[in-house]
Amino acid sequence: MTDVKTPPEPRTVVPVDPARRTEIDKQRVPMSARPYRLLALVKQDAVVRVQKEPDDTVMTWPHLLSIEFLAGALMSIFLLMMGLFVNAPLEALANSNVTPAVAKAPWYFLGLQELLSYFHPTVAGVMVPTFVLVGAALIPYVDRGNLAATRPSQRKTAVVLFSMFCALGLIVTFVGIFFRGPGYAFVIPYLNTDGLHFSL
Amino acid sequence: MSFLERVDQSIRRSVVWRSLFRQPYPNDERSRAYAVMNNVFLHIHPVRVRQHAVKFAYTFCLGGLSFFLFLVLTVTGVYLMFFYVPSATQAYSNILSIQSEVAFGLLTRNIHRWAAHLMVFFVFLHMMRVFYHGAYKPPREFNWVVGVVLLFVTLMLSFTGYLLPWDQIAYWAITIGTNMGGYAPLLNTPTKLILLGGLEVGQNTLLRFYVLHIMFFPLVAAIFLAVHFWRIRKDGGISGPL
Ligand code: HEM
Repeated sequence: MTDVKTPPEPRTVVPVDPARRTEIDKQRVPMSARPYRLLALVKQDAVVRVQKEPDDTVMTWPHLLSIEFLAGALMSIFLLMMGLFVNAPLEALANSNVTPAVAKAPWYFLGLQELLSYFHPTVAGVMVPTFVLVGAALIPYVDRGNLAATRPSQRKTAVVLFSMFCALGLIVTFVGIFFRGPGYAFVIPYLNTDGLHFSL
Repeated sequence: MSFLERVDQSIRRSVVWRSLFRQPYPNDERSRAYAVMNNVFLHIHPVRVRQHAVKFAYTFCLGGLSFFLFLVLTVTGVYLMFFYVPSATQAYSNILSIQSEVAFGLLTRNIHRWAAHLMVFFVFLHMMRVFYHGAYKPPREFNWVVGVVLLFVTLMLSFTGYLLPWDQIAYWAITIGTNMGGYAPLLNTPTKLILLGGLEVGQNTLLRFYVLHIMFFPLVAAIFLAVHFWRIRKDGGISGPL
């Protein structure tokens, strides 16, 4: 078999009516003669904006990368120090027959465990976490009042509500961490010197 | 020219070096742009960024550090996996021997543990900083939703890992945690059966949590992280300035 190459079809450039050419068209190379690939279509106003020199930007190398490097380095040192000097907890082998005096969920779920002592488990264990996650995901679609407002002073309601919610979460978590002891009963930490009933 | 300078130069002029780095050390604007654009790891960034976005006090590096911790956890986690079998009869003694016999085993386990707690903490803080900047507002609504998924995945990564040492803390923390989930209306027993692979925490639970911890949730996290970072670029970079 022989490979016969068909010659490419000649391209014709249709001339544009000079009266219809806008300022941007005049800067353009005819599409058929373009020396570049088409990467994206941008709206006209975006094209105009690009032509203005952006003056509030800095080079990623070195301005952003140096900060990232420094942050990573400091974090590495911190983790190394923690790893060298503080051992991760490990207790006795798991035993389903021996309930330890203090049994707590990991700290990020301790707020929920605290709620468990006030509400029915369906509320504290299922409805609250579902509500929190779904509610959080819905925030951008609920807060539609003033979409341009980003400064806290311009959006007091949102900031106050969110802060109250965070404070509530913090309080129940703190009570769970510090003020709950054997049998999940209320205790004052360090009283009678039995220390904190908490492990990470 | 000193000896060291000559060594330096002959390295930089060698065929191997030049096959690795296509341009000289980035000193001017053009080569700096290329350095970011042509590197597979750096090209996650745009070539230029807006000035306020690189200020520490805007992002506090919280998102970036969450991601850094994720990477640390991946590396230390892979190392720990070499010495750990998810079996109710072996897991605990594996941990003991990691701590006493494996080279840098104790250090690796400690770092893995502390980095995990810190990641959960930083993701919470990152979410708060995003909220207070109103950075979830258009066009960033969807990236906030992706973020909520990432928060959930981060919590699940930490929670599933918590069981693996198979000690008393692990066993009872997971018992309490999964008990709470077992109160889903109508679905209580099925939910618990699915979570635990039985009616109480046991061998099935350990295997389930292990697979979720080392495979499923890391993959889900990687996918959503990719979307998260891609969206930051597509949404026009970091929000602000305030
Ligand atoms: C594994 C967890 C996460 C990682 C690694 C991560 C990473 C990042 C990074 C590196 C940025 C760039 C700016 C910055 O560092 O602040 C960012 C921005 C952002 N993140 Fe996350 N994120 C995570 C979780 C979340 C969560 C939980 C939310 C919210 C629910 C969220 C919402 C956002 C939004 C909306 C932006 C854009 C902010 C802006 O433009 O100012 N992310 N994320």
